[in-house]
Amino acid sequence: MSISSLLSIGSRAMTASYAQLTVTGNNIANANTVGYSRQNAELQTAFSQQTGSGFFGKGVNVATVTRAHDDFLTREASMTSSIAAGDAARSTQLRQMENVFQTGEAGLGYSAQRLFNAFVDVANKPQDSSARQTALARVGDLADRFSTASGQLDSLQTGVAEQLRTSVGSINSLTTQIASLNRQIANVQGTGHAPNDLLDQRDTAISNLSQLAQVTTVPAADGSVGVFLGGSQQLVLGGNATALAAVPDAFDPGKTQIGITTGGVTRAFPDGFIAGGSVSGLLRFQNHDLADARGLLGQLASAIAGQLNSQQALGLDLGTPAAAGAPLLSIGVPLVLPSSANAMSGGVPVASYVNGSGVRVSSVSLTTVDSKSLQPSDYELTADPSLPAGRYKLTRLSDGTTSTVANGSVVDGFRIDVAAPTPAAGDRFLLEPVSNSTRNMARALDDPKGIAAASPVAATTNVANTGTATVASLAAVSPSINPNLTATITFTDNLGNYSYSLVDTTGALPTVNGTGSFVAGQPIALNGFALQLNGVPKTSDSLVVAKTAFPASDNGNANALLGLRDAAIVGQQTLGGGAIVPGMNVTDAYASALGTIGVRVQSGKAAADQSASIATDAKTAVAEKSGVNLDEEAARLIQYQQSYQAAAKMLQIAQSLFDSVLQIGR
Amino acid sequence: MRISTANAYDTGIDSLSRRQADLSDLQAQMTSGKRVAKASDDPAAAARAERALASISRTETSQRAVDASKVVMTQTESSLGTAGDLMQSARELMVAAGNATYGDSERASIAAQLKSIRDQLFVVANSSDGAGTYLFGGQGSTQKPFVDAPGGVQYAATGGQTRTEAGTNLPLTSDGQASWLSARTGNGVFVTSAAPGVATATIDSGIVSDPSALTGADYALKFTVSGGVTTYAVLKNGLPTAVTAAPYVSGQSIVVDGMTVAVSGAPANGDQFQLAPSTPTLSVFDTLDKAITGLQTSGRTTSQIAQATGDNLRDVDSVMGTLQTARAAAGAVLNRIDSESSRLDTQKLASTTERSNAEDVDMVHAISDFQNKQSGYDAALKSYALVQRLSLFQYVNG
Repeated sequence: MSISSLLSIGSRAMTASYAQLTVTGNNIANANTVGYSRQNAELQTAFSQQTGSGFFGKGVNVATVTRAHDDFLTREASMTSSIAAGDAARSTQLRQMENVFQTGEAGLGYSAQRLFNAFVDVANKPQDSSARQTALARVGDLADRFSTASGQLDSLQTGVAEQLRTSVGSINSLTTQIASLNRQIANVQGTGHAPNDLLDQRDTAISNLSQLAQVTTVPAADGSVGVFLGGSQQLVLGGNATALAAVPDAFDPGKTQIGITTGGVTRAFPDGFIAGGSVSGLLRFQNHDLADARGLLGQLASAIAGQLNSQQALGLDLGTPAAAGAPLLSIGVPLVLPSSANAMSGGVPVASYVNGSGVRVSSVSLTTVDSKSLQPSDYELTADPSLPAGRYKLTRLSDGTTSTVANGSVVDGFRIDVAAPTPAAGDRFLLEPVSNSTRNMARALDDPKGIAAASPVAATTNVANTGTATVASLAAVSPSINPNLTATITFTDNLGNYSYSLVDTTGALPTVNGTGSFVAGQPIALNGFALQLNGVPKTSDSLVVAKTAFPASDNGNANALLGLRDAAIVGQQTLGGGAIVPGMNVTDAYASALGTIGVRVQSGKAAADQSASIATDAKTAVAEKSGVNLDEEAARLIQYQQSYQAAAKMLQIAQSLFDSVLQIGR
Repeated sequence: MRISTANAYDTGIDSLSRRQADLSDLQAQMTSGKRVAKASDDPAAAARAERALASISRTETSQRAVDASKVVMTQTESSLGTAGDLMQSARELMVAAGNATYGDSERASIAAQLKSIRDQLFVVANSSDGAGTYLFGGQGSTQKPFVDAPGGVQYAATGGQTRTEAGTNLPLTSDGQASWLSARTGNGVFVTSAAPGVATATIDSGIVSDPSALTGADYALKFTVSGGVTTYAVLKNGLPTAVTAAPYVSGQSIVVDGMTVAVSGAPANGDQFQLAPSTPTLSVFDTLDKAITGLQTSGRTTSQIAQATGDNLRDVDSVMGTLQTARAAAGAVLNRIDSESSRLDTQKLASTTERSNAEDVDMVHAISDFQNKQSGYDAALKSYALVQRLSLFQYVNG
């Protein structure tokens, strides 16, 4: 045992303390660096020396520098923040979408109400062109609001597509970065020391990637980690990264999906494949929330336009001669979007043909037949090979109900026509009966005289009637009404039984006679009109329903147009057994759409808040493990400083001992 | 537990900004007065407010219909009042025309006065509301509804009424056909008249003595004077009945199948009086036209004048009755309009309250909430400042 060993112990202790001070300084310096894990200089005793007097320690060694890290907590933090990012992205978009569904006077419901209510002035003064002008202005206002709403949804869609493309760029850059870090980490694997800063950087990159898309990681023996998307799609393996691509939707090129290119073919991931991250929130918003909002708006627009136009067509306008009313509103046509993956032949889809105007169109087409039965949904038509020829599988996307349809089938208010050449097996089509209707919605009538305020027929009771029956309402209910037929209804007893005759005033048709029975509250329906009576008719009382002699001052159809505000014109459903669930009036339909969107935004926000708070907790847990506490570092500074001073003292003593020995020799 | 300094700062800043956002939300609610500005603030309340708003605009719409009806019905009521006054003057003139001392020239002058009244009535019947709607236009007309045609005044519009929407169902016009042209002839059940040429006897307008015995057939009383004895026979639809030679006493009641009439004077041989069922075809204008024509006819016998005066007064009373009924109906509509208006006001108030309950801020609640949150924010700021000032480095000296 020599004096030099004390000197050696002292100098080792000084080195160790200095190393500890360095690491502490580094910790203080990086206290605010994102992703930095607190480091620690690990000390170990140097192997002791065996002497005759036992084992003497040889001081301390700096073994390595470790980082405070917990794989589980880090993974947990990545995953929770990934879900939080997804929820936040969707919530942000939903809140923007909510602006389309305004409440109160700014809303679509109020505008529709105001349109219907405008007909009260037309009914009060059918010949007043200013009242007609006001009604037309309201029609224009409603059309503008719908097309503005549609435009807002379009711009949300554009924004989402743009964000998705940017996200794909960021994801690809992060995966490349992770792959490169994997290589660097593998390279230094042999040194036996952990490359703490590289590991921190890789963790940060993975965490950033999780913000965009939730990934799973699998560590490999060489220190690299494999990164997988949706549990199976490899993004990073060792030093190699696979690039994602933003691809147009198979049906609607306006939508963007995320996919991957392998062997020159780009394939989109199925819906819901990416479970978390802002990309998943955006995709969910695009594929579900936006589609649903379009459905709700489109259903409302189609129902209003359909009913308004058909009621308008039942009346007479102010033209010379008075004619059936022309449409008030024009809406976008129902769309059929064939999948881009459908069978092709000679460069064109099999299921398409060139129509009379020289345009290639899809063999599948849609026509609205009953606007009040339309549902707020898109549909998918599949030429399922397991079905007999000419049969197709139809899936309603809002609730997933499926049915089998054929050429000419009527479903939910629209008819599906499948022309030749018929779709090849496996072909798929997206049917949008309502979603397109708000695009380019516009007022179709510009002449105030064109409002069909008059009813084509008018009822007069005989002045000699002895009963109390009066006309409560008379409305044309079917386009088949022939105004030239004069209907005379004569009651044959006091119980409501009557005989009628329908006489053609032009003499072209033979007179039709018949009998019927009047029940209070139920209309008398003849020749396409419905006549409601108040009071009780007595025997030999009569009334005549004849062509309106003076359409200019008749308000029958204006009252009917006004009455649409209370009519259940939206979303009537026909159940399997043929039972009919009546729809809602426009106010209720809009209120319910408002509720649907409101609840969705609310729950989106609640989910975002909740997942954000979980993510914060997880982040705090990581910070507690890996973060730098300055007070702690201050304490350590003092501790290591003292150690350093003690070691220095040791050297001083060793030196003085050495000096003492030298003195002896002198 | 270790606390990461950077994380502690982040968390502190996060919670401060959350509190600030809360305060700002609450302040926005207080300044706008609305608790529900977006559907997501409270979806159920938003839907409720939406329905209440629709109800408000609905009642406003109904009120417009009610107002439109009120304008027309007020004018109709006053027009019918004017018509009633004019008819009353006409009646007085007709009573005067019955004066036995008057000669043809006096009667001609009364006829001229009646003509002027008739013209005034024609203007009243064709009056409009000043905005293109004829008050008595029925279910529509492009021109004036009453036309002075050669055969008398015709109704050129469609009968009935134009009405407001089903919710209010108030008239926007009244039926000119019914009020002006459709009074019941005769006494309301049957019409008595003297056949042309009867010059020495009159028949009164009769009464119904036994409603159950009425048949609705046409009857004639045919007088025979034979050997100074006057008898009469009753013909039913032109055919003889059991009564063939009943003795005649001037002024005595004659009962025919539930109808009681009295013939006065001395009927000549072959004189006939008709009893026909009443029809709703008596026109204001025809009544006056007939009276004017009668008064302009010279050389009538006293009996003929008396018969004509009696018939005319009977007809004038009938058409006045019909005009009165129409006026009363207009008055009843005006009453209904008043109650409808107050009902709509109540409904609107209820809907406005409902809307306010659904979406407005309860200020007391909001202010108390705001102060609560304000104190919370204040405390958070103070404690943040205090805690963050603590650091070991402050105590370490070189």
